[in-house]
Amino acid sequence: MKLKNLLWVVVSLAFVFVSSSVFAAGVIKIGVQAPITGSFANEGQGIDNAVKMLVAQQNAKGGLLGKKLEVVTCDDEGTAVGGAICARKLVNDGVVAVIGTYSSTPAESAEPIYARAGVLQTSDATADSLTKHGYWTFFRNSCPNSAEATFTADFLVKDKHFKRIVVLSDYSTYATDLANATEATLKKIGGNVIYRGKIQAGSQNFTPILTKIKSMNPDVIYFSGYYTDGGLIRAQEVSLGMKAAFVGGDSNDNPEFFKLAGKASNGVYMINVPRPDILPYPLAKEFLRDYQARYHMMPPSIWTLFNADGLRAIMYAIEKTKTTDTKKLAAFLHNLKNFQGITGPITFTKDGERAGSRFMAYEIYNNNQYKVVYKED
Amino acid sequence: MEIFLQQIVNGLAIGSIYALVAIGYTMVYGVMKLINFAHGDLVALAAYIGLTVLMQAFGMHITNLWAIILMFVVSALFISLFGVLLERLAYRPLRRAPRLSAVVSALGASLAIENGIMLIWGPNIKVFPSNVFPSASWHISGVVINSTQIAILLLSVILMLALYIFINKTKIGAAIRASAIDQDAAKLMGINVNGIIIAIFALGSFLGSIGGLFIGIYYRELYFQMGWIYGLNAFIAAIIGGIGNIPGAMLGGMLLGIFNVLIAGYVSNGWSEALTFVLLIIILIIKPTGILGERVAEKV
Repeated sequence: MKLKNLLWVVVSLAFVFVSSSVFAAGVIKIGVQAPITGSFANEGQGIDNAVKMLVAQQNAKGGLLGKKLEVVTCDDEGTAVGGAICARKLVNDGVVAVIGTYSSTPAESAEPIYARAGVLQTSDATADSLTKHGYWTFFRNSCPNSAEATFTADFLVKDKHFKRIVVLSDYSTYATDLANATEATLKKIGGNVIYRGKIQAGSQNFTPILTKIKSMNPDVIYFSGYYTDGGLIRAQEVSLGMKAAFVGGDSNDNPEFFKLAGKASNGVYMINVPRPDILPYPLAKEFLRDYQARYHMMPPSIWTLFNADGLRAIMYAIEKTKTTDTKKLAAFLHNLKNFQGITGPITFTKDGERAGSRFMAYEIYNNNQYKVVYKED
Repeated sequence: MEIFLQQIVNGLAIGSIYALVAIGYTMVYGVMKLINFAHGDLVALAAYIGLTVLMQAFGMHITNLWAIILMFVVSALFISLFGVLLERLAYRPLRRAPRLSAVVSALGASLAIENGIMLIWGPNIKVFPSNVFPSASWHISGVVINSTQIAILLLSVILMLALYIFINKTKIGAAIRASAIDQDAAKLMGINVNGIIIAIFALGSFLGSIGGLFIGIYYRELYFQMGWIYGLNAFIAAIIGGIGNIPGAMLGGMLLGIFNVLIAGYVSNGWSEALTFVLLIIILIIKPTGILGERVAEKV
């Protein structure tokens, strides 16, 4: 009997000790929600790498508020379900803020969970809807689809004068949203959209829909989906002997696109924010140099740098407000003006939107050389 | 009309790949009454091994033709052996066990291979070089056929004919047919059923590996979960043709390929996967034995 009582005391003491050590630990936890596996694995790993590098650099300077930063990574596989699971996991792990994710679908499924738990979320996902829900915890660190749609429509109609335009997307939140916005803007400025279609991401066999499109004699196919499909669509378009130009939305701009498209990459137009290597800012050059030194490769794309900026803004907010109270941090971020970022000055609006955009259109030649053919002033 | 013909050409290319993979399901089911769910992942593994061999061969400056031959030989041999090993490890100990145990074992093997691929080759997509086959294409009254499609069709038809002759004209083929009808009676007649099972796993995996290499050459994009989706489609093709029936698997594969592209081309690309399953349900309700099937497919 006595022994049993003693056991209870020991167990409860151990419990108190363990649980208190969780709360009293002198670390600030930063979450990463990113597609570490799945179709966007290399983008997800880029985000994870960038966050780990910046956190290591901050820790080398002594961390924040006298505490070390710790990174907790969760793989959302780029799916809606994965996003919701990760959000719950990271909230339970007690993170202050979450960096990522790469695509809109898992960002959107995670949003309400972070908002309810009061955890800050900064993502490069571009669906306009993300900042329309009124969640005070969400901050977009890239430019929304509506801005890209306006630029794309201008490029297709006012610059290239394409007469017969096909708009394709997949079924994801992001790509549907971008294609719809582009189509609407095209119609507004007098562009002639002859077909608006959707493909099943990952289905690999796009010849059926391309054969149908071929019979409509388009001048151009605009595809708003991701590089894993875009590269194949372009390759199969050329193998069917189609002459239509190919214009890819920002998510096509990835080295894998050029591997998949092979020789068919030539003549492709990509719409994106400036590439990492032509960003004019000293911070960008420094970031790329450090990333290269640490991981022996370049970041997969500009999206890595956007998320790095999201993290930098949050670290700056913690430093300035001297707290990890997310309400106060959010209030600070909502009023952030022209904070110098890797991807340019960062200004957040009241609904967590990043202000301003600077899109460009690139033409690909010699298999993966590129030149800027059109840009926003 | 030319659009329709173009779609049929597209459908036959993917259909031959489904057919090659479906034969593996059907042969194993015919003799063992077991759905080998790991078969699709062997197909994926074949593509990955093929890519590795190809890159090594290019690295050693071996000419294109020899590199392709080397890729086919090494990958097909390895996967045939792997199929035999899979049977030895995952299915033979369960031969007298309830059917469900073997199915669970098959699913386990499938996950093990899938994750093995991810650990060895990584979670990112892998891309086949674009110059494996000469990129010639022919325009015949508006229909475009490229060299890869012709190679896939020709090779698949030759392989399937060879298999058909092997099953129907040789002694081993007769033993395989006998084992499929009644294993115990076959044993009593002096047929080495274990040997037969090894033979069908080797043959089925061999044809599947060729299918996997074709996926790599034709679509050029490999991802570690690809075995599941191609396996599922081929499995449906086998059911459509009549599971356990080899010509049925060939027919089912071709029909499913054409069905897929017609839905994708005339209805919508997003619906082709969903409607494949609708087709499966309709077939199972109307003619559960499939188009050419003799035996009723048992519930697994």
